[in-house]
Amino acid sequence: MTLAPTRGSKRRAIATPAVARRPLGFFLALPPIILILLFVGFPIVLAFAFSIGLTGGLNHVIASIGLNVHEAENWWGTPAAYIEVLSNSRILRDLSVTVGVTALSTVTVIFLALGIGLFLKLRGGRIARLLSGLAIIPLFIPVVIASWAIVTFYSGDGFVRSVFAQFGVEAPVWAFTMVAVVIGSVWTSLPFAVLMITSGLQAIPNAMIEAARDAGAGFLRIVVSILIPMAFVPILIAVTFTAIGVVGSFTVPYFTGPNAPNMLGVSMSNYFSAFNQPQQSVVMAFIVFVIASGIAAAYVWANFRSAKDQGKV
Amino acid sequence: MTMITKRARKSAARLNFSRPLSGLFCVLMVVFILGPLAWLGIRAFAESWTFPNLGPDGWTLRWWSVVLGDETLGRAVQNSLALAALTVLVSACICLPAAYAFARYEFWGRRTFLIGLFALNAFPKMGLYVTIASLFYALNLMSTVLGVLIVHVLGTVVFMTWIPAAAFAAVPRSLEEAARDAGASKLRVFFSVTFPLALPGILVAAVMSFLASFDEAQGSYLIGAPDIMTMPTQMYTLVLNYPNQVAAVFSILLAIPSVALLLAAHKHIVGGTLAEGFQIK
Repeated sequence: MTLAPTRGSKRRAIATPAVARRPLGFFLALPPIILILLFVGFPIVLAFAFSIGLTGGLNHVIASIGLNVHEAENWWGTPAAYIEVLSNSRILRDLSVTVGVTALSTVTVIFLALGIGLFLKLRGGRIARLLSGLAIIPLFIPVVIASWAIVTFYSGDGFVRSVFAQFGVEAPVWAFTMVAVVIGSVWTSLPFAVLMITSGLQAIPNAMIEAARDAGAGFLRIVVSILIPMAFVPILIAVTFTAIGVVGSFTVPYFTGPNAPNMLGVSMSNYFSAFNQPQQSVVMAFIVFVIASGIAAAYVWANFRSAKDQGKV
Repeated sequence: MTMITKRARKSAARLNFSRPLSGLFCVLMVVFILGPLAWLGIRAFAESWTFPNLGPDGWTLRWWSVVLGDETLGRAVQNSLALAALTVLVSACICLPAAYAFARYEFWGRRTFLIGLFALNAFPKMGLYVTIASLFYALNLMSTVLGVLIVHVLGTVVFMTWIPAAAFAAVPRSLEEAARDAGASKLRVFFSVTFPLALPGILVAAVMSFLASFDEAQGSYLIGAPDIMTMPTQMYTLVLNYPNQVAAVFSILLAIPSVALLLAAHKHIVGGTLAEGFQIK
């Protein structure tokens, strides 16, 4: 790859004129790639073959264990399993719930994280530091505990209902509803988004904001025209990570959500283990992959943009 | 001069207006984030609880002896600790050389490798585990330690590559060259200069990996249960079969390593090492 005349590569070129393209780097970098190819890439290819009814080879075992397996009678496969899953109204309801929860949680998380980040950047002070510290706490707590804590907090005899009951008000029960799933997803996703967005915002020089203020720019103008564009890559990474994390989540909806309809992560696990219908489960996995690939494209693009900006790639 | 005072007055006015608002936001955030934890934590010491009361009917330590005396729960604790330690070790052996390579070498396929690592993060977890489990049936890895270990290591690859890579890249080359000029061998330079300077980043990666493994629930549940139960997967059955207070005690036990390790590494994580690690440097 040719070294573009950017800041980073120039510095590197000056520091070590003989930065070589040596095979050593390639071999050092190989082990994690092999691991990923073997246990991510390969299973995905195999599972795709299974989902279209190709049940030979390594898929033979799972096809013989599973119930209700659609087998293809030709070499190019059959869409029968996809047709079955996509015409199952319960799974379709799960799908729409998954998309809805993901969108709502992501918007809420980014909104909160941006609020905290902007508060810290523009106002500063003790309250702002306290808030950003507070938002990191969920990172310290395993997701299983967080989910269980949220269920007990919003349950029929939980804190929220108890407090309202002191004033004789009957508050709604949120545990085991989609509201609790969104609350749980926001709770668990908040730290990463806050870390990403605050560090992105803090990297913007204060002089820039001062200059804009002197030129008469108001709060909104500074945020929209300076801060958000300059922290765009970290914000986009926060968005994609949050959305992908929520769309493939299992623990939060399993603990806090209703039996049905619930998110696809839960139905996937049910179909795989409890119902012993692995093919349908794999089809759902690919539906989730398709949703995520749209989000992932944004992530990869954002990362390469940031890497290019720094002259690293 | 007048402009400055005017601006100061203006921002002071805005502060006065927004202080109650930000105060309210703060209180809501405290309740939203800490409330559930406190509510659950109290339960670990509660005798019983009557609904509209804001406190328990009495206090007891009984539930702690229930948990500490339970054999299956004890085994889950052991499994979790051993698996997490093993995961960090395996992951470090596989990923740290790669992290160094990404930070210091140009090589054929670098860009493809980077995309490959991104792609790992871009797959929704449960979907990925379902496809892996299908393969594990054929390889006889379902309900085995090796199968669960592979899933745990996969969950740490990104931490163990990205964060140390950023740390290695941040070591000034001039220092390494100075050591070389003073006659140190390449290996000596690495172990006396590069590695110690990158160590905080590597430690953060190790802590994050340990916790990722310790907290990993969905993959271990799908692939390990019911034969290999870790603490998080034990929680799935615990909340159904035991009284609420037992789950609360178990939760506190499960949270101790996370809180302790993250408090130790807190400065580096909040200081940007983690966020840095998620962008290629």
